[in-house]
Amino acid sequence: MVDKSMGSRIFNIFLYLFMAVIIVIFVFPFFYMFSLSTSGMKAIMNNRVTFFPVDFNIDAYLRIFEYPGFFQAYRNTIIYTTLGTFFSLIMMMLFAYPLSKSFLKGRGVILKLVIFSMFFSGGLIPNYLLIRNIGFANKIWAILIPFAINQFNLIIMVNFMRSIPEDIEEAAMIDGLGYFRILGWIVVPLSKPAIATIGLYTAVFFWNDWFNAMLYLNTEQRPVMMILRNIVVNAANAGEAQGYGERGIAEMASKSAVILVSVIPIIVLYPFLQRFFVKGLTVGSIKG
Amino acid sequence: MKKQVRTILALTLGVLLALSALAGCTTGGAVPAGDGAEAPLKFTMTYSDNPTLPFREDWLVNTESEARYNLDITWEVIPSTDYTTKINAELATGTGYDVITYLGPSSGDQAALALSGAMAPISDYVDMGWAPNFSRRIEEWNMQAELDERRLSDGKYYFLPALFDKQFYDGGLILRDDLLEKFGMEAPTTFDELYEYLKACKEDNPESFPLTNLVGPQVTYRMSMPSFGMSVGRNASTGTWVLSWNYENKEYFPGAIDDSYKQYLEYFAKLYAEGLYDPEFLPEGDMWNIKMATGAAVASYAYYDQIGGIVAASEVEGISFNMVPPLEGPGGAYHQPKARLSAGLVFTAAAQKRDDFEQLVRAIDNMFYSDEAAELWSLGKEGVTFTRNADGSVEFIPEALESVDGIYKYLQVNYGTGSASSQFIWINEQEMLKYDENYAAINAVVAEMDGVPLSPPTPILSEENAEQASLLQAALRDAFEIWNNDFITGAKSLETDWDAYVQEMKDKGIDELCQIYNDSRR
Repeated sequence: MVDKSMGSRIFNIFLYLFMAVIIVIFVFPFFYMFSLSTSGMKAIMNNRVTFFPVDFNIDAYLRIFEYPGFFQAYRNTIIYTTLGTFFSLIMMMLFAYPLSKSFLKGRGVILKLVIFSMFFSGGLIPNYLLIRNIGFANKIWAILIPFAINQFNLIIMVNFMRSIPEDIEEAAMIDGLGYFRILGWIVVPLSKPAIATIGLYTAVFFWNDWFNAMLYLNTEQRPVMMILRNIVVNAANAGEAQGYGERGIAEMASKSAVILVSVIPIIVLYPFLQRFFVKGLTVGSIKG
Repeated sequence: MKKQVRTILALTLGVLLALSALAGCTTGGAVPAGDGAEAPLKFTMTYSDNPTLPFREDWLVNTESEARYNLDITWEVIPSTDYTTKINAELATGTGYDVITYLGPSSGDQAALALSGAMAPISDYVDMGWAPNFSRRIEEWNMQAELDERRLSDGKYYFLPALFDKQFYDGGLILRDDLLEKFGMEAPTTFDELYEYLKACKEDNPESFPLTNLVGPQVTYRMSMPSFGMSVGRNASTGTWVLSWNYENKEYFPGAIDDSYKQYLEYFAKLYAEGLYDPEFLPEGDMWNIKMATGAAVASYAYYDQIGGIVAASEVEGISFNMVPPLEGPGGAYHQPKARLSAGLVFTAAAQKRDDFEQLVRAIDNMFYSDEAAELWSLGKEGVTFTRNADGSVEFIPEALESVDGIYKYLQVNYGTGSASSQFIWINEQEMLKYDENYAAINAVVAEMDGVPLSPPTPILSEENAEQASLLQAALRDAFEIWNNDFITGAKSLETDWDAYVQEMKDKGIDELCQIYNDSRR
């Protein structure tokens, strides 16, 4: 052990203090939302909630959890997110790898077609007809397959794969590997940072997606975001007509509870993926 | 390395297997009918799901209807916020649903969808006598003329509407009656008296803005303008923003440049200038409740069932609200016009192609429009949600009577009664049983004074006219909004700038729009 100098200790103290402030800044909104979602209606309405919950209760959560079909919907969302991300990553790798090879003929045209579809699409009704006519209506494929490839993520992936030194692949080829094995055994492991990043984007997309599910799926298959969105939007519209009278839950409490219920699971993913967000994995993979 | 490949293969296979199992689940098999008994009528029906009363398939109204009429309904529950989007997409692409609830194709996209053949022209089948209960109601309540208003350009109507025997007075001016008592005032009956009341409240609490908007000025406008003799703005009774309906001459007139509107603006500009009208026009989220509950505002045009919420949230001692009948203004004492027919049931083209279409129409007619159904969807079932006393009066179960949410909400959430998405017969007297006596009394007073006029008719615009009208309307709407705001806030003077405003509206074609509407009347 080397004795730390005075300067380094002071530096560390400041570092920790600084980090503590940053953590408070990031955690405070979540805690405040938690307080709002668990405070009594009177306390919220009379502006008495500043930091800790006042008149603690869990009515706002009960309202969400008691919603008919809530847990089934939550399960659906988890299934869609897992499968959707899995498919999406496989499809994107298979598409991106060939496109990363500059000797591939017609590569430019294919990339342009991909970019074209970023800006132009068929529109709601033609898409709907397409999905119905290929028999995807009321099947989970309707929200998985058409959204498996995101053009933006694809381009990131292509560029990442291009940055992998060709020498590694050449070496593998000399050792007798074909393209599929090179992809599976060399390129994919080396692309972990990109896969983690894109995987996270994709997971967030499938987690949040309610619109496509609303259009293409039936009641049993609805994801949880459809229910949560309906609760929030209706709370905001309360009062535009008769019969919207609330059950003694302030709109802020409803909203906060919905936000927490919907973001916590996906936020929990971040720390687990963090270790992949490390650059420079390819450093040292080639000798000489 | 080999081990890795095997793991990947095993994983992929596992996922594929799981998927195929899932895909199998989605189709769902048909259940064969029991021996001997006639097979139940199977059909798909949509429901617009409002999260304040989340849909349950096992609600009494659903199970009881299925049992009574031997039905097997597949409910397609769609969040109310996305209902129109989903239904329009379904209809445009040839939906497989049989019955769509809570839809009233009278104009716009849905009328176009109806005319393009996506919906069954139900009027033809009503004429053939397939919906006897519905027809009887129309006759009993003298609604044929109103029903005829719903016919589209081909002379047919495409939905069985929800029927209201009387226009309800479900919302209006709500104000603090504990303050009335404090000031020794009577509840206002005219707009001048309202002014006096607001002024007294302002003197009592100079920090407050006594009159505030629920959601936005459109609610205040639509509920108070008819007493001045017109209805314009976002929720104009004609749906045009700038035109109003003259009930005497039975024609449209350009309400937005009428003197009655000028008088209305003068009144509200005065309230605004004296700090009696809340300058925050669009309260967001809980803001309205907070203002009303804390005394920052003491009066607002809103709905009766909101009173409970604000009182429950308030910490002001002795706070109490009441709803008053429509105030008298220069044009009489009227609430926002209401229709006795509203969104109802649409049979799709897919349903029309069914061999048992007649059976389906008859079943729906029984399920929603018969006398027993009218009772079930409103009050529930005798012996379950209520009992009858010897004199025939209704006595609700103790759980409902004691519920803090009130009888109406209790029955709605637990039994599915009284949902606008699925109740299609509304009898005022029967509905009032579910509210407190005060509400019933106010409704009786308003019914006596004929305070809720019927909605004006909707013209049938040809495609060309509809396009022209929507172009004119867009420009007029923008100008209207800007001037309306400026007049009320005092940025523009009603004395010196009114003529310029009228000229601008004329230049933007308000008279042409009115002409198109009057020429297109049925």
